[in-house]
Amino acid sequence: MLTYLRKRIIASALPLVVVIIGVFALARMTGNPAALYLPLNATDTMREEFAARNGLDQPILVQMAQYFGGIFRLDFGTSMRTGEDAATMALRAFPATLQLAATTMIIAILLAVVVGSVAAMKPNGIWDRCSSFISMTAASIPDFWLAIVGIWVFAITLGWVPTSGVVGAAAWFLPVATLVMRPFGTLVQVIRGAMVSALSEPYIKLARSKGATEYRVIGQHALRNAAAPGLTVAGDLTVGLVNGAVVVETIFGWPGIGKLMIDSIMQRDFAVLQACVLLTAVAIFILNILIDLGYALLDPRVRPSAGARKRRKARAAQGPTQGSDPRTPQLVGASMATTESIRGN
Amino acid sequence: MHNRTTRSRRLPLALAASALLGTTALSGCSVANSQESFSGGSSAASDTLRVVLQQEPPTLEACESNLTSTGVVIRSTITEPLIERNPTSGELEPKLATEWSSKDDQTWTLKLREGVKFHDGSDFTAADAVATIDRAVNSKLGCNVEGYVFGDDDLKLKEVDDYTVEVTAAKKDPILPLRLSFLEVVPEETSTTEKVREPIGTGPYQLDEWQAGQSINASAFADYWGDAPEFKKATYQWRSEGSVRAAMITSGEADIATGLSPEDNIGDFGVSYPNNETVALRMHADTAPFDDIRIRRAVNYAIDKESIVASLYGGRDTVAAQLVPAGVVGHSDDLPAWEYDPQKAKDLVAEAKAAGTDVSAPINFVVRTAQFPKIQELAQVIQEQLTQAGLTVNLKMLETSQHLTYQVRPFPTNEDGAIMLMTQHGNQAGDAAFTVDQYMTSKGAQSAFGTPELDKLIEEADAATGDDRQAAFEKVFKYQNDEVVQFAHIAHQTGMLGISKAVSYEPNSSSGDELRLADVTVAK
Repeated sequence: MLTYLRKRIIASALPLVVVIIGVFALARMTGNPAALYLPLNATDTMREEFAARNGLDQPILVQMAQYFGGIFRLDFGTSMRTGEDAATMALRAFPATLQLAATTMIIAILLAVVVGSVAAMKPNGIWDRCSSFISMTAASIPDFWLAIVGIWVFAITLGWVPTSGVVGAAAWFLPVATLVMRPFGTLVQVIRGAMVSALSEPYIKLARSKGATEYRVIGQHALRNAAAPGLTVAGDLTVGLVNGAVVVETIFGWPGIGKLMIDSIMQRDFAVLQACVLLTAVAIFILNILIDLGYALLDPRVRPSAGARKRRKARAAQGPTQGSDPRTPQLVGASMATTESIRGN
Repeated sequence: MHNRTTRSRRLPLALAASALLGTTALSGCSVANSQESFSGGSSAASDTLRVVLQQEPPTLEACESNLTSTGVVIRSTITEPLIERNPTSGELEPKLATEWSSKDDQTWTLKLREGVKFHDGSDFTAADAVATIDRAVNSKLGCNVEGYVFGDDDLKLKEVDDYTVEVTAAKKDPILPLRLSFLEVVPEETSTTEKVREPIGTGPYQLDEWQAGQSINASAFADYWGDAPEFKKATYQWRSEGSVRAAMITSGEADIATGLSPEDNIGDFGVSYPNNETVALRMHADTAPFDDIRIRRAVNYAIDKESIVASLYGGRDTVAAQLVPAGVVGHSDDLPAWEYDPQKAKDLVAEAKAAGTDVSAPINFVVRTAQFPKIQELAQVIQEQLTQAGLTVNLKMLETSQHLTYQVRPFPTNEDGAIMLMTQHGNQAGDAAFTVDQYMTSKGAQSAFGTPELDKLIEEADAATGDDRQAAFEKVFKYQNDEVVQFAHIAHQTGMLGISKAVSYEPNSSSGDELRLADVTVAK
């Protein structure tokens, strides 16, 4: 498993570096920020002073070297817009986004598991058709529209919740309700599909014939095997939310990293943009590893280290050199047991 | 073995669930450092005035107060200038300076108000006034107000006594007091090497707390030298969506919302006011077809400004004949707007074609996305009307940063065809010099071209005072329309505030840049 983890980390670290360099270079190709920060009638002297003050008069490679040097000293530069430390700004905004993403995903997953499982019990039944309609609609409603309608109905007409902002528990309702729709709709369809195929497997018939309760058949046997595709899709959806829910953050005045990133792009606030991208990239990098780990633990067939070791052991058994890793037999044993337990539990 | 595998399969789900729950639990249902609780749509403002802005101020630095998002919070609320321009009459009025005079229009003497205290308890004296001007105009801080109002020339400053200051310009400057009205006074101790996010001022409100990303809280300053404001506290929030700002007014979550448009569903709560912004098209005459003045005139005749104002802007805006609206020194009441005459436009295009001008050359119509309400519709109407006149117009909608490369010199030269830029110009200074110097001179930062004759007229106007100044600028605007025709003016715009029934406030032309909270009262 450690080998697997190490490989995954190395494989994911390269895109991280590429992303950072890409953002650094692309941001600088989209125009000179001096025009945005200085008055329109600023003189040439002022423009030169501005460039010098922000290090923009240096060649781009020098700027990049300085930037990477800064990263190692944990210095991410200063915002041109606010004069604040860029890392402070990004770190201040990120928890708000994480909170929103976590709450949204918990609710979406719980709802989707219930709705998807119930739908899968009787494929093409009335409940299945209803849930299919609801989930398709939820997955395809534009969040901008939903947010505005939500404000109009729940904040203005009914007056139950505030229109926007982050003050008080009621303020969470509209942003979370808006964000939950798409993951919920998508996950219901994935879980329903996986459950339908799991429920037609022989081991379900066996469980039923052994007299297991329906709750146990669904909850213990079918759902566990349907979890793997659900985890993959839920992981992808979480990654999308961790990147910042720009529309929802913008409309509801949620001080998250998506809004901060868009503002820094529009304002060519390079240091903040880079800090935000780096932070979210690292978070997504970690999240991806967790998803891979979870997936590998959930389904041994995708655990490459075990497979590789199994092959190595098979080769070793044939050839003169013996595999020297003492853990190998144990791991192979574990993975065989896992496969066995999935098939015949 | 069996137990072990069951555990290992449960692990990821348990891990994921506990990570998710942990994050949420950590939050305790509150975001970052938010503290107050939602007051459930109460419309009574009690003792707190709640303002919702379009965006969070990047900083509250006093020497950047000419930036709308900064100035709307601090100007004459947190900090105060020496001299203040009355936005309605255009007259300069005393604030922290009680009187000012000059014998030669170059050296100005200002008498300062006594008994004024800063929010930190220190007294306001000549040293603070000198430090403020020196910091904003003469330092290396790169203050926005320096570029906006003063340019490269430094000012010579002298503390005559504790309450008298002498300011000397590099050359004669009859509007130096007007320029000084852009400087918000800060204490002498304010850093001259770094910009300050939260300034100390002398204004009726002092800053209490800035919760980055969420709100700015201020409270009435107990030792304020003037009348105490009616509201003891004030809170600023920001929402970028106009309809959300409007919803906050209708649901009773805010008392004043800035930057609204009628499409935001604000209903009776919307109050419109002339905001000193003018929309115009700037034609670059370096290539065909705009190198022929007949084509530039044809553009003016081809646009139906009356209908645009009536149908797109509900009749609130007014048709423009020049770049500055009424109320700005130099605005000419008698200058007529170009009449809408599509036949004349066609004739002029035909005439130019006959004279050898390439009238089929493409015109790149550069427009900034979301610069003001209905800008896209406006651009499409103009494109259509110019097409009917026989011109080839390509609409280019650009975001702010790209648009700026066309707006300010040096202009892009690799363009296939001519450039026509939609520009929105706001003259908040109240004097036409701030407009014509950059929009109409041959080398102006936002001027595509000019003529030596016009440059001479502008130079004369800049140096003139009193009634001569007014007449001289009127001449400049007339000359541009008759002989230069760099611009096709569209309309003088109006802004809109949302004001709840709980408060009473009369907006004026500078409300968008300078929302004086002390002028807001509890509705009777």
